[in-house]
Amino acid sequence: MGDFRILHRYATSLLETSLEKNNLDVVTIDFNLLVETLEQSRELQSMLDSPVIRPELKLNILREIFDNKISKDSMDFIEFVISKNRESLLSSIGKRFLELRDDHLGIANVFVTSVTEFSNDQKNLLQTRLEKILDKKVRLNFKTDIILVGGFIAKVNDTLYDASIRHQLELLKKQFLTGEISLN
Amino acid sequence: MAEVRPDEISAILRKQLSGFESEVDIYDVGTVLQIGDGIARVYGLSKVMATELVEFPNDVIGMVLNLDEDSVGCVLFGESSLVKEGDTVKRTKRVASIPVGKELLGRVVNPLGKPIDGKGAINTDKFLPIERKALGVIQRQGVKEPVQTGIAAIDAMIPIGRGQRELIIGDRQTGKTAVAIDAIINQKNTHTEEAKSLGIKPVYCVYVAIGQKSSTVAQVVAKLQEHGAMDYTTVVVASAWEPAPLQYIAPYSGATLGEYFRDNGMHSLVIYDDLSKQAAAYRELSLLLRRPPGREAYPGDVFYLHSRLLERASKLSDELGGGSLTALPIIETQQGDVSAYIPTNVISITDGQIYLESSLFNSGVRPAINVGISVSRVGGNAQIKAMKKVAGSLKLDLAQYRELEAFAKFGSDLDQSTLKTLNKGARLVELLKQGQYAPIPVEKQIVSIFLGTKGFMDSIIVADVKRFEKEALEYFEVKHRDIFETLKKEKDISKELEAKINSAAQDFLKVFKKTA
Repeated sequence: MGDFRILHRYATSLLETSLEKNNLDVVTIDFNLLVETLEQSRELQSMLDSPVIRPELKLNILREIFDNKISKDSMDFIEFVISKNRESLLSSIGKRFLELRDDHLGIANVFVTSVTEFSNDQKNLLQTRLEKILDKKVRLNFKTDIILVGGFIAKVNDTLYDASIRHQLELLKKQFLTGEISLN
Repeated sequence: MAEVRPDEISAILRKQLSGFESEVDIYDVGTVLQIGDGIARVYGLSKVMATELVEFPNDVIGMVLNLDEDSVGCVLFGESSLVKEGDTVKRTKRVASIPVGKELLGRVVNPLGKPIDGKGAINTDKFLPIERKALGVIQRQGVKEPVQTGIAAIDAMIPIGRGQRELIIGDRQTGKTAVAIDAIINQKNTHTEEAKSLGIKPVYCVYVAIGQKSSTVAQVVAKLQEHGAMDYTTVVVASAWEPAPLQYIAPYSGATLGEYFRDNGMHSLVIYDDLSKQAAAYRELSLLLRRPPGREAYPGDVFYLHSRLLERASKLSDELGGGSLTALPIIETQQGDVSAYIPTNVISITDGQIYLESSLFNSGVRPAINVGISVSRVGGNAQIKAMKKVAGSLKLDLAQYRELEAFAKFGSDLDQSTLKTLNKGARLVELLKQGQYAPIPVEKQIVSIFLGTKGFMDSIIVADVKRFEKEALEYFEVKHRDIFETLKKEKDISKELEAKINSAAQDFLKVFKKTA
């Protein structure tokens, strides 16, 4: 609960400075890389979490990994976060920053789960339909899951657009239980 | 036996299911972060409202109580073992509400309005939210009509008006529930044709049982049924075994049921049995929601918990139909300690209290009302004139009796006037004793209190007082029926009527067979 307030504050200031300096695109690429790296390497994250390792050492390690790969502004921000002893929140700050950026640019992240892979035509169709419904630019992320039986689910923030067979079956079961369908 | 062919069944299934729509369903979801002790922390559900109902898997329903920055705190109305971390939670977009209406009369329901009496579904489409704001000043008017409980001691000295909040407080086993049940049973009189002709409007009752044994509740329901009181009563039950959140919302559900009658120009009487258990349930869930504890570990808003509930009792203005909701909250004290946290809170909120004492109960004074410290702050305005007249001297006589009671031990050493006061007091105390489930109509109460205060019983030994009262009322019923009729119609004792009762009582004294 408390963490959210902190990381939201850092992420907003990062977004605001990058808008001021007009380098949002560069910072976005940098933080995509940072978040991805931290997620892939558990050792790196636990190094940042560890209170035993001195901040200077943490900064040196991050410098060595990311030097020449990310811009100076991003590196400065990382240094600032470490100087405030918030390095364990770095990846969460990065994620929150990317969310805020999408919000700012009017991009909706849509997570689509389906049983079988979508064809490119289907993907385009879905994209145009969703953009019309949401009135936003849509970035689609696809995933397959056999549990749905058929159809698909599109998740935008906390709202689900559920067109799966599993959900239909659940509804059918409920209807049977309440006895709305009579069999005589 | 008739045969059913399989292909016939599949044909029917196909026919019936063909109408089943398969459209895209849109709903909001969250994920369970943490679950345990009937509390779930949920991530997501970003647009959820406070007190909204949410759906967990396995048909478990929850209610949103905490809205935090990055998570939502829910209480579960079902088994928390059926919900796991990572489960999906669905919004219902419905704030916790309960079905209302006359269809619920005669039914036993849980705090969410689900019937638990096995009499089938409740067919009503009217739903009202459980938490509603109490009315303001403009919508109200003063209490002016009485709620007759049928208990002479209460109707005479601690009168309750329609729209009042009167606390019933006492230790365990002092007859708190009995007083409330008698009050419900006595409302039967307001549903008769006779009451209609006298301009008395019917009172619908709601009995809310919180944290009681299911067997106790079943007994109460059976008693109400036996006395024909279930026809105008709804029972809301959150038993002791049910999760704390259900016990917490039960009184609010009861108030909502009563408010339906109030808002439609009718009258209702709601009994909350009992609020100390509700406070304990609320404490449990507040602590689990990690709200900071205060005095006796109750959360800071435990006063608000009861004040917002009891403020919903009201008498509406005539423009709004003049309906009323009378509340009889019950509080159980520990060893007669009224200065504990919850009792003092509720005493300060209500318009008076009926104080029941175990020492009185054990010495045979039943109902065990301590008339010395029981008060009704507004009910006096609602009392009918005749009762007001006889009750005035009753209160005075009893107060004098209590003052001198300590001297009673000295027996004959006392002077004449003290002895007289003591004698009269002892007879009045005896007169106010009354059996359970035996409510007395107000006109009979007036006559027997009249006989007591005017000294007609002074020559009779204390053991004979109840027999005297019974036979006197029978005598009046047979020989002077008109007295009761006039009392019912005029609601006042005129000079002539007083003379009439006096002479009738004199006549009765002559025929009454004294034992000693």
